[in-house]
Amino acid sequence: MEQTGSWFVRELERRGVSRRDFLGFCGVMSTVLALPRSAGARIADAIATKEKPTLVWLEFQDCAGNTESFLRAGRPTTADIILDTLSVDYHETIMAAAGHQAEAALAGVVADRPGGYIAVVEGSIPTGANGAYCTIGGRSALAIAREVCGGAAATIAIGTCAAFGGLPAAAPNPTGALSVADAVPGIKNLINLPACPANAENLVGVIVYYLTFNRFPPLDRYKRPLFAYGKSIHDNCERRSHYDGGQYVERWGDEGHRTGYCLYKMGCKGPVTFQNCPNVGWNEGTNWPIGCGHPCMGCAEPDFWDKMTPFYSHLAGFPGFGVHSNVDRVGLWATAGVAAAFAAHGFVQLGKRWKQGDLEHQKVAARAGAASDAEKGEPS
Amino acid sequence: MKVRYRPAPASEACLANVYVWESPVRICHWLIAGSIWVLSITGLYMGNPMLTAPGAASEHFLMGTAKLIHFYAAIVFTLSVLTRVVWMFIGNRYAAWDKFVPARAIRRKGLGPTLRYYLFALRLPPGFVGHNPLAGLFYTLVFVLYGVQIATGLGMYAASAHVESPLRVFTFFLPLFGGLQTAHWIHHVVMWLLWMFIVHHVYSAVLMSQVEENATVESIFSGHKFVPREDLIYSGYRFVDRDTLRGG
Repeated sequence: MEQTGSWFVRELERRGVSRRDFLGFCGVMSTVLALPRSAGARIADAIATKEKPTLVWLEFQDCAGNTESFLRAGRPTTADIILDTLSVDYHETIMAAAGHQAEAALAGVVADRPGGYIAVVEGSIPTGANGAYCTIGGRSALAIAREVCGGAAATIAIGTCAAFGGLPAAAPNPTGALSVADAVPGIKNLINLPACPANAENLVGVIVYYLTFNRFPPLDRYKRPLFAYGKSIHDNCERRSHYDGGQYVERWGDEGHRTGYCLYKMGCKGPVTFQNCPNVGWNEGTNWPIGCGHPCMGCAEPDFWDKMTPFYSHLAGFPGFGVHSNVDRVGLWATAGVAAAFAAHGFVQLGKRWKQGDLEHQKVAARAGAASDAEKGEPS
Repeated sequence: MKVRYRPAPASEACLANVYVWESPVRICHWLIAGSIWVLSITGLYMGNPMLTAPGAASEHFLMGTAKLIHFYAAIVFTLSVLTRVVWMFIGNRYAAWDKFVPARAIRRKGLGPTLRYYLFALRLPPGFVGHNPLAGLFYTLVFVLYGVQIATGLGMYAASAHVESPLRVFTFFLPLFGGLQTAHWIHHVVMWLLWMFIVHHVYSAVLMSQVEENATVESIFSGHKFVPREDLIYSGYRFVDRDTLRGG
């Protein structure tokens, strides 16, 4: 990279990032992307020399949580510079321009560089009331998304709202919120980076992968990159041995909780949630939810607000028996009820046979039965 | 007054010894019954692990063992159900698929009288040698429930299976059941539905065995039932009392 003498290398030096730090970052990225160790050199070369893509960042029905996550990208220095050197031409929260100037910047990118920019979408897209629930510069989120994502080389739906609808789309979904995939079907190279918020490491990972290989990483059924969403949280969890061994937190603050036992019985959704939280961590790898004693809430999964609740129960309750009802308890009582009903049937049966015990009585009953059954079809 | 608990036994001359349940049917029955017990006990522990192991985690493998047993029992269960379904098409007439799905008029006609018997409107059930039509219809639902258990179970297993495992294809089932978390919930509910069925099944088997005096309960061990000859001849048309048919 010394030979290239690129602007990027000078920028690293100017900011006091040593070559060792830079290569360290590239090594971390090859690990995040689940690539062989030798990929680090190729990543370093790509980052140092290639032109960074233009990026526009759209915010719709969101809380700017993914922006927060993005601005605080872990492993800073090098990642910061990558994110800084990306030509972020439009981002409502951090751009200096406002009003017509801002919208002109976005229109400029769409008009001048068709198929040459990456659109990042944060937040869900409302479709109710003709899109009136979210408008920017007088245009609906849906119209903006159609235009901007339609002309992008790739669209990254960042955060659960953009990827799956998230909180705004939770029942009863008053604004008719949709994910980017559902609101703008057919856009090319859509990549979902769900989680609430998405981990900035994974966004940097996708961009580094794109810079290195000129294509996007392999995706799963939900269009999530496999490097970040290929395994469940449970399968990479640092507390997994407590799960397998049979050691569980029974209530908050008990001995097991203080010892760091498995949070399965406290409603942990790690077994049904796919993300690389245990490996990558949050806030520069400082910690992550389960690491600090809180069960996973499954925020990276489709419909998590509807399907992962109650957050502190293993399973949802049974309809009609309350949100916090236990489906197994309902099932046990229902089975007991069925057993009681059959027991009653058995007693009635016994009673009737007691009464009909006499053979003569049986014949009378049989004749009565035959008469009433006559219209049902006689034996042929 | 002389009290008798049992209807007058049919005379021996009128009874036929029928080989109803062939050995694959009986073996599948007991493998399914046994694996449901094992799956339910280990499954209840997996859903709500009530035992907590003391000491270091590395010294124990409680949940791991429960899951291992659950998975092996699931293999037995799945293969037994599959075998039984295949046997519906190659086994004898009492094992055939049309004894489950009421596709034939005679089976549909038998539904009402059987229900009326259960509701005490008829003194004896209509004379079907194998499954009665109502039981067959219920078993159809039970097989559907088996299918749901197998599909949700394979889906849940596949979600955490190795990336290169061929079982990964079964993640295909998960969206059909509303995703992984909802599939867990359905897996629990269906287990209880099956237990409700088992309660009914055991009760009805004992009841029919008593009422018809045809060794229904014993037949799942021996394969043989002792049935009135006219039940073989008329094949389920005895919607009325056996004594009436015989002319009292």
